[in-house]
Amino acid sequence: MTVEPAGTSDLGTSGVLVVVPAYNERECIAAVVADVRAAGHDCLVIDDGSADETAAIARAAGARVVRLPINLGVGGALRTGFRYASDHGYHTVVQVDADGQHPTAAIDALVQELQARDLDMVVGSRFLQPSGYQLSRSRRAAIALLARVIASAGDTRMTDPTSGFRAIRSPLLDVLAHDFPHHYLGDTFEALLVATRRGYRIGEMPVTMRPRQGGQPSAGHYASFRAMVRACTVLLTGTSFDLPPRRVDAGASR
Amino acid sequence: MSTTAKQALVLAVGGLVILLFILRLARRRLLTTRYALGWLGVGVLIAAAAVLMPFVGRLGRLANMTPTAVLLTISSVLLLAITVQLSISVSQLQERLRTTAEAHALLARRLEELEQRDR
Repeated sequence: MTVEPAGTSDLGTSGVLVVVPAYNERECIAAVVADVRAAGHDCLVIDDGSADETAAIARAAGARVVRLPINLGVGGALRTGFRYASDHGYHTVVQVDADGQHPTAAIDALVQELQARDLDMVVGSRFLQPSGYQLSRSRRAAIALLARVIASAGDTRMTDPTSGFRAIRSPLLDVLAHDFPHHYLGDTFEALLVATRRGYRIGEMPVTMRPRQGGQPSAGHYASFRAMVRACTVLLTGTSFDLPPRRVDAGASR
Repeated sequence: MSTTAKQALVLAVGGLVILLFILRLARRRLLTTRYALGWLGVGVLIAAAAVLMPFVGRLGRLANMTPTAVLLTISSVLLLAITVQLSISVSQLQERLRTTAEAHALLARRLEELEQRDR
């Protein structure tokens, strides 16, 4: 797929685009967009084939909206957001959930952490500092397993590999946007694993997340079970079968 | 009529029916050649098995199987191969559909931006 770059004329001053994948989030989306806009960032909502008024509400709240004609899941929505950012010349994307769980006040801190520690990706972790975040035992075991797998792929140490509150900057951003021609950027875990394998620098910083602010979670028990099965499939089959060769100089070139 | 002859007759008729059915589907463009080929192969093989019944029997004695078991085994493997081919095709189509949906959404957004600029 090639979409000609639409020019950088509408690029915000910060060069940071906040991408919010949203599926039937009419109750929460307005507040999230308003928070992001108030923080002075461009906000792109990817409406992942919602059946409700998510797109209209987000637009009214001041977001740019890209509407996917069919539901692709978080992975597809994110890749669309990355492509938009890459095509429009943004150097950094911060991905934020539409349900209001992620602390929008910490967006700037994530971006600064990228620059301060010279990282390609920063993940907001719920577990880096004790915060009393409630988690079932099976979920905890799953997260520990995923973290161990990522650690075995390279020198990335994660406490919260399933967190969707992340900041990603070029060149990793462009790689995620365009260099996955066949293999699909399915979920958080796969992106981390692939980026680690390819030698990108990934770090974490502690954040405090809020409970969901309204609406229905799209990921229930069944969905998290499926995510685990997917992760295991990735482990068994490997994600590298049609990845382009790793660019060793990506981190060093800056 | 011996059992083998009856089996051969059933196979021949079955293979012929499959061949005609697939050809008809392909002619009505319900099947593209890519998928028609696999099924035509199946039809031809079944028809061929009817003619080669003595050979199938010998093959069975070699592997200590009845001719029926030999035929069933071969047909299972063939069906499996076709199913795998279909799975591969569906996976490819899924990825293409996703990429197309993304491109569509981004283009719609660009059009919107252009329309706003012109206003």
